[in-house]
Amino acid sequence: MRFAFTDDHKLFADGLTDLLNDQCPPSAVRQVWDDHTGHAPELWNRLADLGLFSLLVDTDAGGMGGGMVDAVLLFERLGAAAVPGPVIEQMVVVAPALAGTDRSHAAMDGSLVGTATADAAAPVPHARCAQVVVTADGVLGGYTATAVDSLDGGRLLATLSGGSLTDAGPSALDAAAMADRMALAVAAQLVGISAAMIDLAAEYARQRHQFGKPIGTFQAVKHLMADALAAAEFAKAPLWQAAWSLDNDLPTAPADVSAARVLANTAAQRAARSALQVHGAIGYTWECDLHLWMKKVWALQAAWGDTNWHRRRVSRYLLGTGGGVPGPALADDTTTMPGLAQAR
Amino acid sequence: MDLRYTPAQQAFRSEARAWLSDNVPATPLPSFDTAEGFEAHRAWERILYDGRWSAVSWPEEFGGRGAGYIEWLIFEEEYWRSGAPGRVNQNGIFLLGPTIMEVGTDEQKARFLPTMASSEIVWAQAWSEPDAGSDMAAIRATATLDGDHWVLNGSKIWASRGAFADWCFGMFRSDPDAERHRGLTFVLCPLDSPGVTVRPISQLDGEPGFAEIFFDDVRVPVDCTLGEVGGGWKVAMATAGFERGVSLRSPARFTAAANRLVGLWRLHADPTDTALSDAVTDLWIRAQGYQLHTYRTVTDIIDGKPIGAEASLNKVFWSELDLEVHELAMRILGSSAELTAGDGSAAWIKGFLFSLSGPIYAGTNEIQRNIVADRVLNLPRGS
Repeated sequence: MRFAFTDDHKLFADGLTDLLNDQCPPSAVRQVWDDHTGHAPELWNRLADLGLFSLLVDTDAGGMGGGMVDAVLLFERLGAAAVPGPVIEQMVVVAPALAGTDRSHAAMDGSLVGTATADAAAPVPHARCAQVVVTADGVLGGYTATAVDSLDGGRLLATLSGGSLTDAGPSALDAAAMADRMALAVAAQLVGISAAMIDLAAEYARQRHQFGKPIGTFQAVKHLMADALAAAEFAKAPLWQAAWSLDNDLPTAPADVSAARVLANTAAQRAARSALQVHGAIGYTWECDLHLWMKKVWALQAAWGDTNWHRRRVSRYLLGTGGGVPGPALADDTTTMPGLAQAR
Repeated sequence: MDLRYTPAQQAFRSEARAWLSDNVPATPLPSFDTAEGFEAHRAWERILYDGRWSAVSWPEEFGGRGAGYIEWLIFEEEYWRSGAPGRVNQNGIFLLGPTIMEVGTDEQKARFLPTMASSEIVWAQAWSEPDAGSDMAAIRATATLDGDHWVLNGSKIWASRGAFADWCFGMFRSDPDAERHRGLTFVLCPLDSPGVTVRPISQLDGEPGFAEIFFDDVRVPVDCTLGEVGGGWKVAMATAGFERGVSLRSPARFTAAANRLVGLWRLHADPTDTALSDAVTDLWIRAQGYQLHTYRTVTDIIDGKPIGAEASLNKVFWSELDLEVHELAMRILGSSAELTAGDGSAAWIKGFLFSLSGPIYAGTNEIQRNIVADRVLNLPRGS
């Protein structure tokens, strides 16, 4: 039993943060919003050079063979920098789905840009900057993407028409795994975004003076911030555990992912509201950077399942409610972390 | 990261589960806040001690098993899962004990720890005073040196287990000229000392769970000083760190409560009421989150990272979670929630009343939020 990351995990994450501090400051995110591309090609190439897109690809297909535990801190850091474009989709779905095909290396080196969706009939994020869209049915290419106005300028939506399925893409079973992995990656992004907004608001509370002193000296502000931090901090361990659950194919993995997602969604909503409140009127402006993160929070709330969907999925495992497919029958398993197995 | 228990840890769990199954009283003991219940719980602690389960993480020489933190968490999970009695000497075993191990002399360890592990001596904490609650540095009770004795004067209040305990521990102002957190000394005092008057105070449930303790020229040998003279604040902070951190409220209590809530929901709730099933699920997720968070924290402690002000974050989280679990149980119980006797609701109501104290004791949650804001988020201090 050891619930911690390795030094290598932390080094990789810190290396990514260094790169993002340099290449993806808020001004760079704004640039992507302003040019309406939803994509930062130069940053994208640097992330590819770092190995992000080969991390989750099997070694026999030329990847690094990493798992979600190896990736989860990276998702957090990508969220904390409000990184635009389909970076997470490429890592989690596109490169692994194309592994072993003739486009395998293009996906890993980033020369092919792809995105992913659970529902190709609905507006698809990042579809205009991508050449392929991985769906449950296969890898779609040659489509026409028509922009739809949407909230987050780093995650532009478009409707798809035409195109054809090329590579087979994920099987039915893998499609469920793809959705769980994306739901977890979104949870990790939200945790990272929460941390960034809390840092931003704390810094503002140190600098901004009213009544002759920093507003951070007022208890009303302190408590707002402490509660936001508590929610964000207590979302982390379930997130990391769910990553481990997925990597180890635990029968509870889908419910673990959903539990993590409920906490992450809730924490991010709270962090956004609290950070805005601490900023006051300046936070309500387009010029303040805060909205770059807040809009990502709101845009991601329903990505790969909303809070209610995920909560109900935990309910099915825990309580057998909802008339859906009940969770797998679990023995009173004492070999891994206590959890659903012991609640039954 | 490896979230599997080792074979040794699994064997430890099996051993604990089997022992508890054989030894946990079949019917609940009377409340430890009654004279009869207090002694029944002391007797239970003795059974635990004889099985070497009363202080599993302590060194063997003091009555423990020298178990690691993970094993301690496993034991706690099994303990609360089994429905075993509350720990009447938790102020000693989980708060004072670890503090004595950290700052006590070898003589003090040998003298106090074994009788604590066996609950031959049950400890009350004596922190608050009538005018020093959240503002603990406002302490006014005094300790005056007279030869090789302290002479204690003043009063302490809200002393948990104070009505029936044998000894108490608390802070006294040993330097009358020093202010606030300076000049305080941490003293251990027998409650049968001449000059000690204990006035039990009935809590919300009507039972004397705490007491006011009056000290009137009470003489205590100086070898009952814990830590340095004048260094009481530092010792108390170490104790409070344990309390808010992981030891006083191990996550197993909350996962056990959340699992009982699931059981209550199965028995009594309308399964089509999704507002209720959503609420049960949310609380279960949070209880689970606290447990996972603790495994993470404990791994950090094993790696040598100290528990800092983050402990205050824990205290806010578990106390409000516990309260909400019990509030929801009351909601599910509906019209029977006011029945304070019987199998169904009585334990939940008792638990509900107790859970209301969580956000108040061990430093109110408002104080904890201040600590988090100041020391974790580095917001500027107030006045």
